[in-house]
Amino acid sequence: MMTLIIGGSGSGKSAFAEQYIVSAAGEKKKYYIATMKVYDEEGRRKVEKHRMQRADKGFQTIESPVDIEKAAQEIKENHAVALLECMSNLVANEMFSSEIPEKKDVVVQKILEGIRSLKEQVEHLVIVTNHVFEDGVVYDSMTMEYMCALGEINQHLAAMSENVMEVVVGIPVMLKGEG
Amino acid sequence: MKLIVGGYAQGKLQYAMEKYGAKDWILADGYLPEAGQKVIINHFHLWVRRTMEKGECPEEKIKEYLEAHPQCIIISDEIGGGLVPMDAFEREYRERTGRILVELAKGAEEVERVICGIGQKIK
Repeated sequence: MMTLIIGGSGSGKSAFAEQYIVSAAGEKKKYYIATMKVYDEEGRRKVEKHRMQRADKGFQTIESPVDIEKAAQEIKENHAVALLECMSNLVANEMFSSEIPEKKDVVVQKILEGIRSLKEQVEHLVIVTNHVFEDGVVYDSMTMEYMCALGEINQHLAAMSENVMEVVVGIPVMLKGEG
Repeated sequence: MKLIVGGYAQGKLQYAMEKYGAKDWILADGYLPEAGQKVIINHFHLWVRRTMEKGECPEEKIKEYLEAHPQCIIISDEIGGGLVPMDAFEREYRERTGRILVELAKGAEEVERVICGIGQKIK
C-alpha cells in the first residue's frame, strides 16, 4: 500500500501526513525517513520543528539524505509502516551532492528503484512531496532539470500509489483513491 | 468566517462577488477594515506581507480581527506552489502566509479553493 501526499510550502502537508500515518499504522512499528540535509541555522530550526511535531508519535527516524535503498535495508520488521519526507529534498540531494550535477534520468531511476524496495519492505509507505511547479518563473537550466526530475518522479509515484492527495491550507483534497 | 484560496488570476474575487452578492459587502483590498461586519478582504496575502514588512505580527493581528469580525470573507492567493526562494524574507513570507492560512482554515466555517474561476468546496 502506498500513499502520495503533495502540497506547497506552508500547506500543512507534514502535519497532515504524520497524523495520517499514525492513524493508518495502529500498533505497527512506524519509521520516519528524513531526507533533509542540514546546511545552516534555518535548516537546523526546521529539522528541530519537525522533530518536536512528531516527538510523541513514536516514530523511529532513519536519516537518509541520499540512497533510499539503504534506508529500506534498515527496516527489519514484517509489519512496519514508513513516512518518507520529503521527496523534493531527496531529489535535490541526489542531483547536487557532488560537484558535477547528476543527470536527471540517472536520478529518477535511482530514486524510483529505492522507493520500490522501500515499498516492498513496509505494509504502508507514505511519501510527502512538494508542489514547486506553479510560480511561473523560468529558472536556470540546472534548476529546470531539477524540476523536471521531481515532476517525473511525482508522476511515477502517483501511478504506483493507491491514494494520492493534495494538502491545501491543511485540508486533504483527494486526487486518487479513497484515502 | 469563510476562506477562499487559489492561485494568481484564478477569478477568486469575482467568484466571491457572484456567490455572496457584491452590493451587500464592504470590499477591502489588502487591509482589515474596522467598520462593518459584512467585509470581504481581498489580497489577504499582501496584507500579511505588509504587516511583516512593518515588523508587526500578522498571526496576532488577524486573530484579534476575527474575534471582532467573525462574519468576514477572506480571499488569499496561494503562494506556496513554487521553488523555495533564495531570499530569506521571501522564504519567511511564503512559509508564514501558508501557516496562517492553515490556521484560518481550521477556524473557518467554509473553505473554498478557486481554479479557473471554479470554486471547489474543500471544507
